[in-house]
Amino acid sequence: MQLWLDSLIAHGVFGPHPSHEWVYTIAITIACALVLMLVALPFASIVTWVERRVWARIQSRIGPNRVGPNGFLQWLADGVKHVCKEDLIPSEADARLFKLAPYLVVLAFILPWAVMPFSSGLILADLNIGILYITAVPALTVVGILMGGWASNNKWSLIGGIRSAAQIISYEIPAGLSIFPIVLMTGTLSMQGIIRAQGWAPDRWFIFANPFCFVAAFIMFISSLAENNRTPFDLPEAESELVAGFATEYSSMRYLFFFMAEWGNMFIAAAIVVTLFLGGWQFPLLTRSAVVMNALQFVAFMVKCLFLVLVSMWVRGTLPRVRIDQMMSLCWKYFVPISFINLIGTAVWVAIFPDGNAIVRWGMLAFGVAIAVLFASRVITFTRRSGMELYLRPTI
Amino acid sequence: MSAFHTEEMTLNMGPQHPSTHGVLRFVIKADGEVMREAIPDVGYLHRSIEKIAEKVGYHGFMPYTDRVDYVCAMFTNQGWAMACEKLANVTVPRRGEYCRVVAAEFNRLASHLLTVGLMGMDIGAMTPFLHALREREMINDLIEELCGARLTFNYMRIGGVAWDLPPGWREKALAYLDHLAPILDEFNSLFSYNKICIERLANVAPISAADAINYNLVGPNLRASGVNWDVRRDLPYSVYSELEFEVPLGAGEWGSQGDAMDRYMMRIREMVQSSRILRQALAQMPDGPVLGKVVRNFKPAAGECQVRVESARGDQGWYVVSDGTAFPQRVHVRTGSFAAMGMIQKLSRGLMIADLVVLIASLDVIAPEIDR
Amino acid sequence: MAVANSYFRNIKDAVVSIFDGMAVTASHLIRRPFTIQYPDRMPVRVQDTLPFRYRGILDVDLEICTGCLACDRACPINCIAMAIEKNAQTREIVISQFDIDMAKCMYCGLCSEPCPTGAIHHTTEFEGADYSLESLIRRFIVEPVVAYKPKKGPEPDEDVAKLLGRGMKYVDEWAQPGSDKAPAAAPKPAPATSPASNEKVP
Repeated sequence: MQLWLDSLIAHGVFGPHPSHEWVYTIAITIACALVLMLVALPFASIVTWVERRVWARIQSRIGPNRVGPNGFLQWLADGVKHVCKEDLIPSEADARLFKLAPYLVVLAFILPWAVMPFSSGLILADLNIGILYITAVPALTVVGILMGGWASNNKWSLIGGIRSAAQIISYEIPAGLSIFPIVLMTGTLSMQGIIRAQGWAPDRWFIFANPFCFVAAFIMFISSLAENNRTPFDLPEAESELVAGFATEYSSMRYLFFFMAEWGNMFIAAAIVVTLFLGGWQFPLLTRSAVVMNALQFVAFMVKCLFLVLVSMWVRGTLPRVRIDQMMSLCWKYFVPISFINLIGTAVWVAIFPDGNAIVRWGMLAFGVAIAVLFASRVITFTRRSGMELYLRPTI
Repeated sequence: MSAFHTEEMTLNMGPQHPSTHGVLRFVIKADGEVMREAIPDVGYLHRSIEKIAEKVGYHGFMPYTDRVDYVCAMFTNQGWAMACEKLANVTVPRRGEYCRVVAAEFNRLASHLLTVGLMGMDIGAMTPFLHALREREMINDLIEELCGARLTFNYMRIGGVAWDLPPGWREKALAYLDHLAPILDEFNSLFSYNKICIERLANVAPISAADAINYNLVGPNLRASGVNWDVRRDLPYSVYSELEFEVPLGAGEWGSQGDAMDRYMMRIREMVQSSRILRQALAQMPDGPVLGKVVRNFKPAAGECQVRVESARGDQGWYVVSDGTAFPQRVHVRTGSFAAMGMIQKLSRGLMIADLVVLIASLDVIAPEIDR
Repeated sequence: MAVANSYFRNIKDAVVSIFDGMAVTASHLIRRPFTIQYPDRMPVRVQDTLPFRYRGILDVDLEICTGCLACDRACPINCIAMAIEKNAQTREIVISQFDIDMAKCMYCGLCSEPCPTGAIHHTTEFEGADYSLESLIRRFIVEPVVAYKPKKGPEPDEDVAKLLGRGMKYVDEWAQPGSDKAPAAAPKPAPATSPASNEKVP
């Protein structure tokens, strides 16, 4: 984008002698606002519709299908309803912190959009520490949730907030450790750099590069589920124990802010995994037109991210919740040691095969395809055995 | 660490809560996540049903027995009917007894489906809850055809049952049982054998056999602790002596004997056994009347009687005292959930708050049965 | 060594069981949902799909009500309020009040059982919600009605015969002895029942 702005300045679009800093600053502000308004916030809202429909089909139900075509405007109706609700602040609650907490959580959701690599040209800021930035910033949610839990003046909220703090902080470690194998292989922390090091074909994706990266991908995905407070790690908002955990005392838009951040973070988590392991926006070089290529890359990126978001919803519909001590033992006894082994293994691998190994790559790809085929066969077995009627259309 | 001041937190898991099974209240004294004690507080659902019996008479009390435990209404119906029949020496015709067994076992299936589904919901998996309820809806459809209602059945009468099986019902019932068997396997794959579920339920609040007997636990809770007692087999009533079924016992395969996983798996296994009983009963049903001759103005001889029925929640005792008039003098129901509540305070020491929810769900506590 | 074994077994169990669980839910994604979309996207009204024995809101066919007060006596919650008078000259029973308080009714069906003609019966209607409690008291008598006297032979009046047919279908099916060999006995045609018969019906 900087090159494009430079060419515009050279053509005199902004006047004879504009200040480069001002032009850049204003342009990037407008671009950020556009991305947020057009991509981030609509996504966080529309994904609720998708989640409810997907969740409902998993549970043999239908899900919202009345408001708008196939229930597409349900999120709008929910948003309007929440805005019209009474804004309750408990009298004994710490009002300033109570009001501030949702904004911090939403801030943690909004900041990573600056480094989202939508395509080779569409990135707001290709920081050379991109992946580190995107892993560090969501830690702001800890502050927000702790604040919300404490300021509610409610013991159940406090328990929820503290559980969440412990959970997010603990799972930052396997998440961070799972990034490092990729950094070792590419030598750069920048998002675009990592994507450019991969290819469009699945065998070139880092997930199949070596067995350590394969395991690291899953650990990264599961840790990101834990960071977002998604089932099976939704202890902080465990509905059946703590009502709504840290968000119990929140009503109307403040409540929605917490959950908008959670749903939006699903996308960011998916984007991280896609960037690191699944080839990002890479698309075969079909034309020389930059616009068309960018558009196709954007589509590729979105498809991959949305698939992972779908997997995240699917996992939510399947698994029960872990208990706090089990979650801790899972992180520290299982994920952290395995992440370290991945890191060391990848380091050794990079030392032995600096450019990767075609046999291992294709072998891992074949392994991945075999798992997918096995999965499909299990699905068919269950469907046939249950004797229930098939219904393949997504809408009803 | 002694200089670090810590306080015990008193929490109120109030009568309105998404996961207490009905209106229950617990006062939890907790040290962080680990509980020192959870003191149950019951009585929010007390409706004086036992006193109402003294006003409405013997026939009129039958719909009220549905409300004693609305999830297992057939068993409460049967208990009351058996108590009145014992007082007045009424014999129930054989077909009536078989209809009772069929209705009761379907109700057992429905109740256990609800329990295992609620266990899923309580530990966070919403999907098994809805799958279980879908199957329960199909049973409700069947029973709706049989007696007209889906929850408070009022199906049994003193001296038999109110309705015979409608034409075509037996085939629908058998088709349902065929449909249920693979669905139960699927449910197990989705939920019961899931590692997270096993981790959440295994080794949570194991109850020893001696404790179970001392605290009056009954039903699947008792059998999970290894005590081999089932009223259907040991004090046979109705026509259970003519039917073949196994009584599953807990053996601690996933954790320790008598833990929450055992109690939960008891219900899954009992569902399989209920299917077996149902197939036999539907096949063996003799012809004949379904309701014996009982006068409308029911006045049993003065006296008292006690009757025990194996409901889905366990051994349910009905104690009726008659003074020779048309209204009973005293009716008392002894339910399994009431005894289970008594044990929660002892079991909760050292559990985590998340485990309390699992404990209540595994004991299959239903609030209307506690408070009546 | 046992610790290492259990460590790897835990991982294996977790992976396998979660794999299976995800397969089950994926299989549900392609199945037909069980929900029926009541009330607007249904081919038939739900009320018409309910079984014959369904215990919905009570209704009274006054044309065939014999004024025997058996339902009033049988109701455990006293939601039926009836008032009858015996006209001394014509020896007819006149019903001047027949109120059913649906707010108290618990849909148990005990009133429809002793009815000799099946006048009081449960319909398949269940949508009775309303804004005021008073509207739930169904008052069936507008002006005093002469009670029905069951005929010795078949009922001559066609409309009354239709009502009587429906009513007696219920009365005959209730506590009917059953058989699995022969088909269920067809309901008897409009029979000659007398008010005295409700004594021997259990």
